[in-house]
Amino acid sequence: MIDGIQFNSLGEFLAMGGYAFNVWSVYALFAIFLIANLALPLRKRRLILREQKRRLAALDGREESVRDLADSAGWEVSMTGDEK
Amino acid sequence: MSGRWQWFHRLGSPKWFYEKTTRWLPWLVGAMALFLTVGVVWALLFLPPDYQQGHTSRILVVHVAVAGTSLSFFPLMAVAGTVTLVWRIKLADMVAKHAAPLGAWFTFLTLASGSIWGSVMWGTWWEWTDSRLVSMLFQLFLLLAVISLRTAIENAETAARACALLSIVGCINVVIIKYSVDWWNTLHQPSSPISMEVGSPNGPEFWVATLVMIVAVYLFLAVSLILATRNEIIERENKAQWVRELVAQAN
Repeated sequence: MIDGIQFNSLGEFLAMGGYAFNVWSVYALFAIFLIANLALPLRKRRLILREQKRRLAALDGREESVRDLADSAGWEVSMTGDEK
Repeated sequence: MSGRWQWFHRLGSPKWFYEKTTRWLPWLVGAMALFLTVGVVWALLFLPPDYQQGHTSRILVVHVAVAGTSLSFFPLMAVAGTVTLVWRIKLADMVAKHAAPLGAWFTFLTLASGSIWGSVMWGTWWEWTDSRLVSMLFQLFLLLAVISLRTAIENAETAARACALLSIVGCINVVIIKYSVDWWNTLHQPSSPISMEVGSPNGPEFWVATLVMIVAVYLFLAVSLILATRNEIIERENKAQWVRELVAQAN
């Protein structure tokens, strides 16, 4: 056993001197708290990027048809996003 | 707008924030993982059992770290709110918006872990006459109020200002939480004096472990809040060219 560890066996560690329920439920809640608040924003990021990509594609399609129309009429058009 | 204030407005630029945090995140995540691992392993395996509490003192390492950190949410939201009210910097409001639900998680875990510890050490899960417990519960309600205020007001700018005001007022409760144990000492113990003596009840074995956990929890707060704020930036700034490029490059 590594020096300084307060338990002599795995069973003793799990039992927590009779306070297994209290110690382990708090650490379980702590784990849920940590994982949830990292996984949820990461999941949301994927969803947002997917949605924005779809939006951009739809927008591109619209801009293209406007451009085609303008070209056939011989107009000059500039659209948002063109300037930079 | 030149010279002195330029840095301030650059700091408020969503693009600047996004680019900086792209570079900081790996370091913050690395440090968070390191401190969390050391903190949890220390608290669960190496912390000597308390002479009175036995192994339940392992709960307190988490409880004290999360509880202490939960008190920083209202000051954080108040500062961000002031920046929103005075300078109308969008980024400040994005941070404030996502701080509220995270703060509610922190406060809930504080109450839950304290209750689970108290159920065996105090013989009760809850005590309505204890000022620390009740003021902490009030913080949870205040945070839920800030969250619902944001969703209840349709105009985003009005909602931001209302939340900013409530956050500033909510700081009063933080002072009450902090000093509640000294002003009305009922059940919850006041903060323990730190002892330098190894083997004493409040010796370094306990408080250094708690300190490591506090750093870990603060890093976690930063990482989680940065991730949420970056999402908000992509959504709110979706007309900017740099966000379009970012979206286009994502797979």
